Amino acid sequence: MTITRRNVLLGATAAAALAPIAARAQTSEVVIGVTYPMSGANAQIGVDAQHAYVTATDIINNKHDFELPLAKDAGLPGLGGAKIRLVFADHQGDPQKGRAEAERLITQEKVCAIIGSYQSSVAVTISQICERYQTPFVSADNSSPSLHTRGLKFFFRAAPHDEMFTKAMFDFYDALKKKGTKIETLALFHEDTIFGTDSANAQIKLANERGYKIVADIKYRSNSPSLSAEVQQLKSANADVLMPSSYTTDGIMLVKTMAELGYKPKAIVAQAAGFSEKALYDAVGDKLEGVITRGSFSLDLAAKRPMVGKINDLFKAKSGKDLNDNTSREFMGLIVLADAINRAKSTDGEKIRAALAATEIPGEQTIMPWKRVKFDELGQNNDADPVLLQYIGGKFVTISPPQGAVAEAVWPMK
Amino acid sequence: MTAETIIQSLASGLLMGLLYGLIAVGLALIFGLMDVVNFAHGEFLMIAMYASFFLFAFFAIDPLLAAPLVAAALFVFGAVVYLLIVRFAVRAKANAGMVQIFSTFGLAIVMRGVAQFFFTPDYRSVTHSWFGGKTVSIGGIFLPQPQLIGAAVAMLAFGGLYYFINRTDFGRALEATREDAGAVALVGIDKNRVFALGWGLGAALVGLAGAIMSIFFYIYPDVGASFALIAYVTVALGGFGSVFGAFAGGIIVGLVEASTALLLPPSLKSVGIYAVYLLVVFVRPRGLFGSM
Amino acid sequence: MDTDFAKRRRRDLIVAFCLAAIAAVVPLFVKDSYVQNIMVLTLMWAALSQSWNILSGYCGQISLGHALYFGIGAYTTTLLFTKFGVLPWFGMLGGGLISALIAMGLGYPCFRLRGHYFAIATIVIAEIGLLLFHNWDWAGAALGIEIPVRGDSWLKFQFARSKLPYFYFALALACVAWFVTWWLEDSKWGYWWRAVKDNPDAAESLGVVVFNSKMGAAAVSAFLVAVGGSFYAQFVSYIDPESIMGFHISLLMALPAVLGGIGTLWGPMLGAVILIPVTELTRSYAGGSGRGVDLIVYGGLIIAISLARPQGLVSLFAPKRKEATR
Repeated sequence: MTITRRNVLLGATAAAALAPIAARAQTSEVVIGVTYPMSGANAQIGVDAQHAYVTATDIINNKHDFELPLAKDAGLPGLGGAKIRLVFADHQGDPQKGRAEAERLITQEKVCAIIGSYQSSVAVTISQICERYQTPFVSADNSSPSLHTRGLKFFFRAAPHDEMFTKAMFDFYDALKKKGTKIETLALFHEDTIFGTDSANAQIKLANERGYKIVADIKYRSNSPSLSAEVQQLKSANADVLMPSSYTTDGIMLVKTMAELGYKPKAIVAQAAGFSEKALYDAVGDKLEGVITRGSFSLDLAAKRPMVGKINDLFKAKSGKDLNDNTSREFMGLIVLADAINRAKSTDGEKIRAALAATEIPGEQTIMPWKRVKFDELGQNNDADPVLLQYIGGKFVTISPPQGAVAEAVWPMK
Repeated sequence: MTAETIIQSLASGLLMGLLYGLIAVGLALIFGLMDVVNFAHGEFLMIAMYASFFLFAFFAIDPLLAAPLVAAALFVFGAVVYLLIVRFAVRAKANAGMVQIFSTFGLAIVMRGVAQFFFTPDYRSVTHSWFGGKTVSIGGIFLPQPQLIGAAVAMLAFGGLYYFINRTDFGRALEATREDAGAVALVGIDKNRVFALGWGLGAALVGLAGAIMSIFFYIYPDVGASFALIAYVTVALGGFGSVFGAFAGGIIVGLVEASTALLLPPSLKSVGIYAVYLLVVFVRPRGLFGSM
Repeated sequence: MDTDFAKRRRRDLIVAFCLAAIAAVVPLFVKDSYVQNIMVLTLMWAALSQSWNILSGYCGQISLGHALYFGIGAYTTTLLFTKFGVLPWFGMLGGGLISALIAMGLGYPCFRLRGHYFAIATIVIAEIGLLLFHNWDWAGAALGIEIPVRGDSWLKFQFARSKLPYFYFALALACVAWFVTWWLEDSKWGYWWRAVKDNPDAAESLGVVVFNSKMGAAAVSAFLVAVGGSFYAQFVSYIDPESIMGFHISLLMALPAVLGGIGTLWGPMLGAVILIPVTELTRSYAGGSGRGVDLIVYGGLIIAISLARPQGLVSLFAPKRKEATR
């Protein structure tokens, strides 16, 4: 096949793919693709995410009295009151399927942007496809730091990544140390996936920079039938802080196995994931009094910002759960994206990209503890301040950073 | 690495190994009877765990009390699976081996889908039970009560199974059918009935394991996947068809897993199990106690 | 008998040629990239399943661990390209050769195992491979490797939007795998394998030569699967151990052949043509509900076909030719 023929074909496919998008710019509907694991081991995440996105869509499409972009109008005023319509796609946690679904969403469903995707490995391929089709990809809840440093123009992440989260933890340790608490040794417990590896890498880097000693670095296979040997090693290391990066399943096993092997860590500071899931606290909450987890969200904010509580109620009516670390980021991701589409006054990918790049939402107009939403040239929002939450008396209270804290940290735990 | 760490790891490994044996023995039994490997074995475990969970959630029945009920329910389920699917799979004139592998594999996928449909993908746990979360400490070595109970149930089950196969009429019918399915028809034993009961019994044993597991393990539609491969390796290591082999295989797998985690990074601990399996079958191609 | 056989082989060749020619023009008319994506995957899995069929179907050594060779192919190409700048075409060849060598090394002890012992050994070996890659930091470990985008190029075998180059490569691979199978059927290896299947006693007398021919089959099978793995890495442009070497990859390789007709020339093709579109379409149009409906449909289909057509779907097309399906 010759080069020219290929280019002709390429041009033809591209034209075929793009023409309808341009033609639809004036329609009363804005279609956004949402892709998550909806079946398989992480299906629960996808189903919860669905509720979060439907809640956000309800707020955008109907009138609500919230200080949130687009809440007060019905639909997107910039597009003549057009309504948001979501198309959900199941990527099953597989990068190839994520890629295929993204392509289908763009070319068949004619979505103007994609939001997703929980697994960072799938975000890699989705964002690549979005780049190729010049369609913005909003990473709502992927926390891998490597995602935004790949030089992609159409990648945006409003939420913090693992290095920012981890920095919040070490800032907190430094503050405690200044007050005279003894924190010298750390034990890392992380799964062997992209999430666990990224998290551990960030923790090791910061520990070295700030002079904390890592006395155990346990990498385990996710969904192991047993964690006895792993916990035994954590127990012998007996560090000042145990830092798990685990999903719900292994989180439950970790806590149960620690109790069974008689190991009570002095403090646990978790990289969210499983430790912000209701299922984990339903299962082993009684053993977790005083556990600390990083988060992007805190219900404490409802005291300062009443809409946070109301939005949580809307979400809870659909899902039966409180907003958590993941679902809050998903909710906010869609609001940020819709705000940009509204300002772009178009469903053209390039225009939405430009509008996203110009985003400037003050923290008060979000449900998050963030300073603001403003993307740097890599598409990362560096003003998304994480919080640390402590599980006390069956609920989470914010203990750090100082400006958002509502309580002093209980240290050591329990 | 202290002596205490080593003893603790081995003790935990032993307890876990007995449970692996209990999970796997149903597989070994069914294979011994009719040369069929049930690739939905992990999913049988999954529904047993759900059954135990729902008995707890709706009727507040402790998983230990629920175990016989779950086993009975699984008995029925196993027999039905035989009658509806496996009966036809073994009858296939061509590629019987592949047909039974893939029909049970298809069943596994359907069961996961059905579980997700009805039970949602949420993670469930039995939050309160007589032994859940309790532990016994002997000289600094901690033995969790759920696993101790599991080990006891496993040993009882193995003992009972041994007695059953060797001392009861039905056991003898099982044994005879497995040796020569054609000949037993002549003495008036209905092959299908024996196979159906065999599947029921195999499933009931998984049911027992599932009820015990529900005390300390989380439950969700894909939970079986974590145990399926271990169960296959356990059975093959002990020798397909050998009930005692499954028992021994379980203990070996548990101990090897625990010791590998001491020597290698824990994320590689399964490599130890797999390597031991390969070593064993390269020397003894029929597993440790396989006879056929 | 022999002339019948020769006639059938000639007819098979002509049919294959016609089908390949028809397939080659389809994407010129069907331009939807989602559909083209499904076509690429279908051809790729057809090729993989055809290659798997050489060892597992014709030789009767049921391997459920071919993900290992798929992964080695994908990793060899990607690592050589990202670390040393070696063009993927050489990586493809290298990955194929490495896989073939490993397959022979593993075949030596494993071919003594029978039935389920062999199948589980293959699962376990692939699982060890997966865990090693998962913990191998230089090869990206769990983070995987993203193939850097360097613009459309045949030399680097990457194309941003066009699916056509991938389509034609997958088509070529499927044709090669088919042709190798076709050729093997009539080779002396093919005769031995048939002899062993028809008459187990013949296995004794043919012992050594059959063993060697199985090693050969393992090598050919692994080589082709590794090339498929290289292709997949280029196609997806991101690899990580779980998505490349997981057990599901081994199963997906076996399924089309089993459903289409194991140990038959046309079975894997037919199986892939039905199975892959059904998988993709159920996921895309039923999977978004999050309720597992796609799993129920997919699993139900596997049960139904394997029970209703134990010889595989290919038997539907050959009512008269009993010896063809064996």
